Amino acid sequence: MSSTSLPEDGANGAAKPGNYYGYGIPYLPIEGYPGKIIAVEGTDGVGRSTQITLLREWLEVQGYGVIETGWTRSELMQPTIDLAKSSNTLNKLTFVLLYATDFADRLEKEIIPALKAGFIVLSDRYIYTAMARAGIRGVDRTWIRNLYGFAIAPHLVFYLKIDEKTLIRRVLQARGMDYWESGMDMKLGDDIYESFRAYQKALLKEYASMSDEFGFRTLDARRKVEVIQDELRRQIGAFLAESDTSRSEVAPSVATP
Amino acid sequence: MTFSLLHATDFADRLLYNIIPPLKAGMIVLADRYAYTAFSRDAARGVDRRWVRELYSFAVRPDLAVYFRVPIEVSTDRLLARRVKLKFYEAGLDMGWSTNAVESFRLFQGKVLEEYDRIVDEFDLSVIPAEGSITEQQRTFRKIVTEYLAIEETDDELDELA
Repeated sequence: MSSTSLPEDGANGAAKPGNYYGYGIPYLPIEGYPGKIIAVEGTDGVGRSTQITLLREWLEVQGYGVIETGWTRSELMQPTIDLAKSSNTLNKLTFVLLYATDFADRLEKEIIPALKAGFIVLSDRYIYTAMARAGIRGVDRTWIRNLYGFAIAPHLVFYLKIDEKTLIRRVLQARGMDYWESGMDMKLGDDIYESFRAYQKALLKEYASMSDEFGFRTLDARRKVEVIQDELRRQIGAFLAESDTSRSEVAPSVATP
Repeated sequence: MTFSLLHATDFADRLLYNIIPPLKAGMIVLADRYAYTAFSRDAARGVDRRWVRELYSFAVRPDLAVYFRVPIEVSTDRLLARRVKLKFYEAGLDMGWSTNAVESFRLFQGKVLEEYDRIVDEFDLSVIPAEGSITEQQRTFRKIVTEYLAIEETDDELDELA
């Protein structure tokens, strides 16, 4: 109803890592929390979870406390979201708001406590996936960024980038196309293959524009799992080494490579 | 936050299914509470006021918004007279301000009422004093609505004349 908002009210590229993007959650001050958020973004079937599993192992061996979090994994919201998805009663607005509720629940109950305790939070997707999906469904981009103004700007965001051709082959090989991943709700066409292609293409475009907006670290997801993992470790290692020297309280207890 | 977002989701669903279609058909929609309830309740729970307002920017601005104002003592007495137990969230027991439901209700609803006062000015709500009898309130309510609709009707007549 009131719609005069500034870009800094919501998710924006200028936010300081580890701080709230916009107005945040006033009753949960997070300043000075020692933990880190590392987000891995990318469309479905790009290999995010494989990379995260490997990263977790690597970090834990070095003595870091690690928690993983991912979309619709909140205990509060997962059953509701699954139910709503299966009953076709969702419209784009309720869809967006349910995802935001799921994220808020995980933020308050998992992410913030972990940051406070000095953990590394590995996030399998972050708010960007939600913003990309909403953006291509015609939800106002400023509104969605303001909505996620309660989110915390991650310390690092990796974007596993892939082209639609490679993606289609991977998804078909692995498990086939699913209704929502193919954007069938957008009625782009009856053919699931065509719909998947058009939907994922639009999504990739949306990610590309956010990559500039939020400063993603882009990695070529067509390369071998080990090659990508090495690159992730190199960049994360450098980041952690730098923050460990500037703040001793997050220093790992063991340091065997 | 989750409390606020779940209510917004419910509101969005009702807006799109129950509010916008009758508006398009030219009907009058009587809404028992609107986004203003969320503004006051969520702010009382410590959510950022500006954020909640932006969150609800997808809502249709009502043509007329009426606020029935009561002092906290009156609302407490009425609720206690009506039913035995206060609802958990209504009493703000989730805030942990008091383990006593009535005491917690007073504290929490007191904050809610403060927020409403702010909203009345900000969004120019019409206020009806609600300590009086239902008949009295209804009389004032009808007067406000009639005045509003009469203006609309005159406008329509003027449009037809033009």
